[in-house]
Amino acid sequence: MTSITLDDIGLKDFTLQTLPRLKELRSQYFSRRPEICIERARYITKYLRYHDNASDSPEIRQAKKVSYFLHRKSAQFHDRNLIAGSTTSKALGAPLFPEFFALTLWPELETVSDRKKNPQKLTHEEATELNLDIFPFWMDKNVLELTRTRFSNPKCLQLFENLVFFIAAKAGCISHAVPAYSFMLEHGLSGMIAMAAEREEALAAATDKKERQQADFFRAVQISLQGIIAHATQLADEAEHLARVTNNSEDAAELIEMAAICRRVPAGPATTFREAINAIWICQVGIHAENINMAMSPGRLDQILYPYYRRDIAEGRLDIARAIELTGCLWLKIADNVTMVPEASEELFGGAGTVPAITIGGVDANGEDAVNDLTYIMLRVTELLTIRDPNVNARYDYEKNSSAYCRRLAEATLNTKSVPAFFNDKANITALTGQGETLEHARDYAVIGCVELASSGRDYPASSSIMMNLAAPLEMALFQGKRPITGEEQIGPVTPDPSELASFEDFWQVFKTQLDWLIEQAIQLNDYMGAVHQEMMPSPLLSALFIGPMDKGKDLIQGGALYNSSGATHIAFADVVDSLNAIEQTVFVEKKYTFNDLLEQVRNNFSGLEGEKVRLYLQNHTPKYGTEAPIARKNSRNLVQHLFNLYQSHTNYRGGPYRPSYWTMTNHAGLGGISGALPHGRKAGKVFSSGMTPVSGAAPELTACLNAVAELGGELVPGCWALNIKYTPEADVTTMSEYFAQTIEAYFRAGGQQVQFNIMTYKMLLDAKKHPENYPELMVRVSGYSAYFKDLNEMMKDELITRTQYGLTDGQAVPLPPLQ
Amino acid sequence: MVFLCKELHTMKGQEEMFDIISTKGREEVWSDFRNCFDSELAEEFLQSLLTLMQIMFVLNHQYRRNINKFNGRYQFRSEDGEVTIGVCFANKRMKVVEGIIDNPHITITFRNGRTLLDFIISPRQDILGSMLKHDVRTEGNLNYLYKFGFMAKQLQLMIPQPG
Repeated sequence: MTSITLDDIGLKDFTLQTLPRLKELRSQYFSRRPEICIERARYITKYLRYHDNASDSPEIRQAKKVSYFLHRKSAQFHDRNLIAGSTTSKALGAPLFPEFFALTLWPELETVSDRKKNPQKLTHEEATELNLDIFPFWMDKNVLELTRTRFSNPKCLQLFENLVFFIAAKAGCISHAVPAYSFMLEHGLSGMIAMAAEREEALAAATDKKERQQADFFRAVQISLQGIIAHATQLADEAEHLARVTNNSEDAAELIEMAAICRRVPAGPATTFREAINAIWICQVGIHAENINMAMSPGRLDQILYPYYRRDIAEGRLDIARAIELTGCLWLKIADNVTMVPEASEELFGGAGTVPAITIGGVDANGEDAVNDLTYIMLRVTELLTIRDPNVNARYDYEKNSSAYCRRLAEATLNTKSVPAFFNDKANITALTGQGETLEHARDYAVIGCVELASSGRDYPASSSIMMNLAAPLEMALFQGKRPITGEEQIGPVTPDPSELASFEDFWQVFKTQLDWLIEQAIQLNDYMGAVHQEMMPSPLLSALFIGPMDKGKDLIQGGALYNSSGATHIAFADVVDSLNAIEQTVFVEKKYTFNDLLEQVRNNFSGLEGEKVRLYLQNHTPKYGTEAPIARKNSRNLVQHLFNLYQSHTNYRGGPYRPSYWTMTNHAGLGGISGALPHGRKAGKVFSSGMTPVSGAAPELTACLNAVAELGGELVPGCWALNIKYTPEADVTTMSEYFAQTIEAYFRAGGQQVQFNIMTYKMLLDAKKHPENYPELMVRVSGYSAYFKDLNEMMKDELITRTQYGLTDGQAVPLPPLQ
Repeated sequence: MVFLCKELHTMKGQEEMFDIISTKGREEVWSDFRNCFDSELAEEFLQSLLTLMQIMFVLNHQYRRNINKFNGRYQFRSEDGEVTIGVCFANKRMKVVEGIIDNPHITITFRNGRTLLDFIISPRQDILGSMLKHDVRTEGNLNYLYKFGFMAKQLQLMIPQPG
């Protein structure tokens, strides 16, 4: 049990005016333009070309490769941030990982700096080095091509390359993890290296293959962690050098202090709040050297750092202003990198950050209130900075956490208009214990990336392994295993012509046949790519920062974590449920249309007057997910249940289950844009609904909407979901905060797992689209993460504009104004 | 436009190349390529692109560096079967052949010249969009396509401005 000692949990006396360093750093952050960083690509290519020993184990090869880079990685101090270390050589860098998708940049090496949408600067010299030296080395060596070669270009890989069925994220990363930093802070990397050396030594005489592999793993851990220490030493050297050359005595003193910290941590145990923060950050930098930064999430920092904070406060080494300043510096460090996005991918991923998630609040391992002073400090920092990354998520247990805490979360959301996201401890802990996690471990869950759940440092969930487009199997069910977009090609099994089906139950079986087939293809590919990762991309550095691998002597990629799973998320959930509802209602219950009529209209995209008449009927008079309509509730429940059963019946390459989830990043816009018309009256090319959110305009009453979603929560959604709700900003913030908090509590009590908000109107977003120059910092929640509105592609902007806007006081949807 | 079905960097290949350049004039070759960006001439895009590529590999030392150590085999096919072209890079040479080639690293099947142009080189290059709309389908190692896209883009950037 922790206690709150702050006089004002809102910390309103602390503003950017009273914290000039944060104000300055924030201003610099918004003025920076992303630059592509080729440093890692350069050194790992050099290592593999000239130094790699193919007879080493995969773990040792990877450790040597990463350590080689960390020994040479430049030490940069771009600004007056108090924390040393940066993920790339640029102030705002987009690192290249040629093991994955870096080569997609090739066609635009000469133009990426000046492209219209989200340019990323690249010098001519760097472009030439990539073109002539680095990229050619990787032509046949990235994960995708190794999978193609090793498994003879399997059907499942070809389906993925079609892009319209599912996305196999392992071609781009596994990442998505929350390390266990407390152990590192307590023992230091040198202590951890000594432990690994001891365990390697104990296996020195082993002849058994498994034990030799364990010894190799412990060796790899030592090599990796030594790489981090080497980089910390370089940071110290550079800080001392800068201190010597600067004319500013204040800067010099700060640099000397930073150098001293880098010489102490992360090599040794952290003794102060500042050391602990810097140790965590340097380890994050090390993690980024090994794995691409996709949702590499620091986790429950208010819990991990609290002992250091409390001790420093008690002993007078720290005050609240300094704690806010240091926390703000960490937030800005976490935001120092972006993803390299080729122009061609802007349609799908435009505007996305790297989504490192920080989790605050909730309960502790004993189930007691874990909210502490640092929780509120982190919340205040989030409010003051209002930057895209880190993705801040607030856990809330409506029985253990105070209502003041919930109101404060509501207030922060109203002030920032979009963060933090809210996570229900009760439902999410149930979801994880349902996966066999102990109650204590489940209670220590943190959010990864968008919304995914993981017991901190114990769970390796590869949570974005599969992104399944649910509209694909629906279309395949309608068209006997074909999709309009792929023409006459027989994709899935030949199922019966829907017009010959006698009941909705028959169609449901047909849909499940196509769905199951497609999911099995995605699982097959995930397991193939997992096998390639085991050979090519083990993670001994990350493994060392987990609980499990050091006991098992096994890398995370080999199943070293305590809990091993693969995540599968789903796109177009609400659209597919509403389509099932429409088919059931109009074809089989009302018999208003024959299945042939419906298919004909879908094929013709509801064209002509008659088509529009049918479309309007389907849109306005069929049961909708997000309401109390019994058909909609039944179909949504059946789909969630079926997906849960199906995934859980499969075991991944690490021996763990598949976990379904429902978040979509921006894929619902991109995939919606290329999908045909659907039976619920959606015309071809329109965006799908995001995450677990009902279709825009389909759920007119807020309470019914929240209840309809909430009743699906808990054990059946172990990977969690993203529910997007848009509220009209109201003048009376205090009253609105009260309503806001009450609504959250009611939704959580009904079982809702997660919800995130945009506090903005249709009108404001329309204006932001028209006049982006007036909204340079407007941050919005997309589907699990935040983005700057101006950076999003047009379809995604439209999706955000048309999301249902509710009045919080009356709980009613606000009519969508005519769109020009 | 006729395809250059021969190897460059041989004396014969180079002589014929220079013949073409002198016959048509370098300006005209660039003009053919530039005109592909007008919709009515998009069908000839592939032909123009490959011809110009061959020429520039001979004439431009910097551009030639792209294929100094490059082995790559490309099969281009139009969906209607009208165009079937193989492009092979090996031993610092580029060879274009009409018909099917053995063991291509990548096969690119396109709906029409315009879609191929949009896919590879248009001012707003749209590789993913083309694939999502199935205007272009690929089979094989996409990294070879990315490299080809770069070489095509370089040519586009070299286009002399009229006047």
